[in-house]
Parts: sequence; structure tokens; C-alpha cells
Amino acid sequence: MPVSGNLVLGNKARAPSRLEVVRPIPSGVSDHGAALSERALAERFNQVVLPHLGDALALARWLTGNAADAEDVVQDACIKAHAGISGYAGGNPRAWLLTIVRNTSYTWMSRNRPRAMMAVGDLGDLDDMAAAHGTSLPDEDGPEASLIAKADTAALEAAIAALPEPFRETLVLRDINGLAYREIAAMLDVPMGTVMSRLARARGLLASELGRAP
Amino acid sequence: MTGHDDGLPNDPEGIALMIHALVDGELDAAAALAVERRIAADPRLAAEHARILALRGAVARLPRPDVSDAFLARIAAIGMAGGEQQAQPAEPQRGAPSALPGLIAGAGAGQRREAGTRPSQTRTSPRARRFGSFDWRAMAASIMISAVLASGATQWVMQSGVDDGFAAAVASGHRRSLLAASPIDIVSSDRHTVKPWLDARIGVSPPAPDLAQDGYALIGGRVEVISDRPVPALVYRHREHLITLVAEPQQGGKVTQPDDLSSGGFSMVHWSDGAFSYWAISDMERPELDDFVARFRKAAV
Repeated sequence: MPVSGNLVLGNKARAPSRLEVVRPIPSGVSDHGAALSERALAERFNQVVLPHLGDALALARWLTGNAADAEDVVQDACIKAHAGISGYAGGNPRAWLLTIVRNTSYTWMSRNRPRAMMAVGDLGDLDDMAAAHGTSLPDEDGPEASLIAKADTAALEAAIAALPEPFRETLVLRDINGLAYREIAAMLDVPMGTVMSRLARARGLLASELGRAP
Repeated sequence: MTGHDDGLPNDPEGIALMIHALVDGELDAAAALAVERRIAADPRLAAEHARILALRGAVARLPRPDVSDAFLARIAAIGMAGGEQQAQPAEPQRGAPSALPGLIAGAGAGQRREAGTRPSQTRTSPRARRFGSFDWRAMAASIMISAVLASGATQWVMQSGVDDGFAAAVASGHRRSLLAASPIDIVSSDRHTVKPWLDARIGVSPPAPDLAQDGYALIGGRVEVISDRPVPALVYRHREHLITLVAEPQQGGKVTQPDDLSSGGFSMVHWSDGAFSYWAISDMERPELDDFVARFRKAAV
């Protein structure tokens, strides 16, 4: 086997593609020939959605900024998930649900907090932002790992909250929700290399922020 | 892709990305080996690797939002909204107040739909669907959830011989963990992380051999509270199955052979090695769990 830097073709390779979450399926009406019975759909909802509510809340909390709004967003998302459950075609149910939660979060944010929605430019802007924050690339000396490990919860949460949106989202999806690179790439509709560089930058920003603290 | 001749990128940024990918478990064995060699050979890369690990650990330790029972019941009610229709002969509930106004848009035109109605007939009357009486369903959902959890526990109490309460609590803990956001509090495949974490939390930590080579990967640990006492629990993964291994410290306990306590769709095995009393539970088949237990006992000696 040739040694290469290839990423493992994920064990959960079948990541969901972009979902049309708002397409309301007239429930109870067989919309395609071998439609699942409602009971089967309800069962699927229980299996696909309910076990991942904690992840859904965590993602929504980091995207909206607080826990109370997160519950509203997740509830909205679950209603959409319920409407679209027959469109769930296998794959990682957590990734499927989180895709809906993410879309719902942004819809909710644009409706409820239009001013908080920061227009995100292209990656060049992001790179500038990262530079302004003092990203530590490996050719500079970063803070000691022990300093990072000792960081207290509040400091870490504040540092995550201060991350520019695309970095924060990528970090949360990976390190809190535990999605694979491939799943994140499919969810954000960006190349996997972008996921990797955003994640590296997000972690670099956090590390330098935490390392700065006395 | 030259230079080191190991197929890895040679620019600093590129190799940094590979270290992140290594930490995230995204590399295949060959690439991981190559990256590990680079890390071993370069203190700077080693420092970066340590930073990433430390940061990942710190983020993983952040408190996660609770899924309150009320919230769970609310969401479960959304699921019941569709599923209950066929199961139950429809009753006119149009006037009932709704807890989920967002869902009742299409409600109201309630024509009766008999339980035995054929699909072809239901298709002709989509307006027959009613979404009334949500609070009733929310209540039903929460009752259902409580009942499922409680009946699981009861079953264990009824069916297992020794240490009924303990076995039931272990079973409930395992089931609860499958519903929770994460089955583990400390995420790590490294027993040198899991053991100190447990030690720091509750002052005891059971043997935590890594059985990844045998197909049972240690994925982390958590603390269970059983009979008012915190006890350490390790979580292993075997293919898509999770195995919870609760280890109750014993003082001068006796050594007992594995004892089958399986019930209610879960396999459970109990044994003691003198220092700890172990309870392994999983939804795997019994022979597979036995295999795990045998390997664990062999490795834990």
C-alpha cells in the first residue's frame, strides 16, 4: 500500500448532501409509491432525532450564543426534521439533524438578530481576520500545551464565542459535535481542504488566546 | 510530495494540517505512521501536536447543554404528531388547545379516519389529518418515555438474581447514555487520559486496557451514580455497538466468574476480580459480549 497523505475515506462516507429541510411533506399522504407508513416515520424520527438532541442544542448554543435561544432553534429544527424525515436516506443521523439545526439557526438569526449577522466575505477576509488575531502557525512558537490544558471553562468559552463565525462553526462541528471532516465539508458545502484550514485556524486562535492568559 | 519521501506535504502549513488530521483520527494507518514519525523527529511539530491535543481535550471537557426532560418530551411530541395517527382511531379533537401552534396550520378540517382505512383511501383525504390535542400528546410522550425507562429498570429488577438494584441501575445508566448527547464525559482513546480523569473525579479508576487490536476500542469514560455512590464507567466501541463497563470498587471482595444477567434486549455480564466488581452491558449479542469480557479479563490482569 503506497504511503500517502490521503485522508481516510470516512467510515461514514455517505454524508448527507444539502437537504431541503423546509419542504413540507404532506404527512399521511403517500408521496411516493412505497412510502413508509406514518408509524414507521414516527419511529424513525424517534431513532434519528431524539438521541442527538444534546448535540443539536450544543451546536445551536454556539451558533446563536445562548442556551435559551438554542432550545427555540432546535425545536424549530425538529419540526422541519419531522416534516422531512422521509427524506432521510441513511448515513449519519447526527450529521443529518445538525445540518437542519445549522440552517435553522441561520434563518432564526437573520429573523431575530439581523444586526448580529455578520456578512462573511471570502476566505481572504478570513485570513486577514486570522492574522489580526495572531494565528500561530507552526513556524512561530505557540503557547505551552500545559497552559492550554489548564485553561478554565469560562476563558475557553469566551475564546470560542469570539471566534469568527466560520471558524467557530467548524470547530464546534468537529470538536463538540464530533463530525468527520467529510461530513462537515458536505454540511457547509465547502471543499474538505477548507474545513481543514478553518479548523486549524480556529484551534490556532484559541491556543494563542488561552496561551496569552497568565 | 517529495523531500521526506513519505508522501506528506513539506510546507509548514501543510504538515500542520496533517497533524490536525492525525489528532482527529482522519488519517489512515499509513499516513498516521508517517505523520507520527515526522512529529517524533521535530520538536516543533511535537509541540504543535501537544497543543492541539491539549486544546481538543479542553474543548471536549466543556459542559454540554442539558436535554431537560421537558424539552425531550416536547420534541418527542413532534414525532408523535405523525405516528399516532395510524395507530389510533381518530377522535375529533379539533377544539383542543395546542401546545405547538406552529404545527396546527393544516388542522381543523377533521374528518374521521377509521383505524382500518386503507392507504388508497387516506390519500384522497389529506385534509383528514388533524393536529389538535398536542398537550395530550406531549403528555403521552413524556409518559411513554418514563414508562420505557422505568419498565427497563423494572425488568432488570424482576429478572436478575443477585444485586438487583445495582444491575438495574447499571442498565438504566447504559440506556440513558445511549439517549444522551454523548455516552461519555471524557472522550479519549488513550487510557492514560481516561484513568487520570476518573482518578481526579472520584479517586478510583479501574484497569482500562486498550483492546483496539481486538476490535474493542476504548472511546472514553464517565461517572455513573449508583446506589448514591459515584462509580467509574468505561465505554468501549465494537463496530456500531457501545459497551458500558461499570467497575464498582470492592474491598476484599471475592473473585467471581462471569455471570449472565442478560435481559430485555441487552446483554449483561457480571464478574469480580477481587478489586473491582464489573458489570458489562451492551446491545451486542451475548457471544460477542462474552468475547469482550474474556479479552478484558485477560488484559486487565
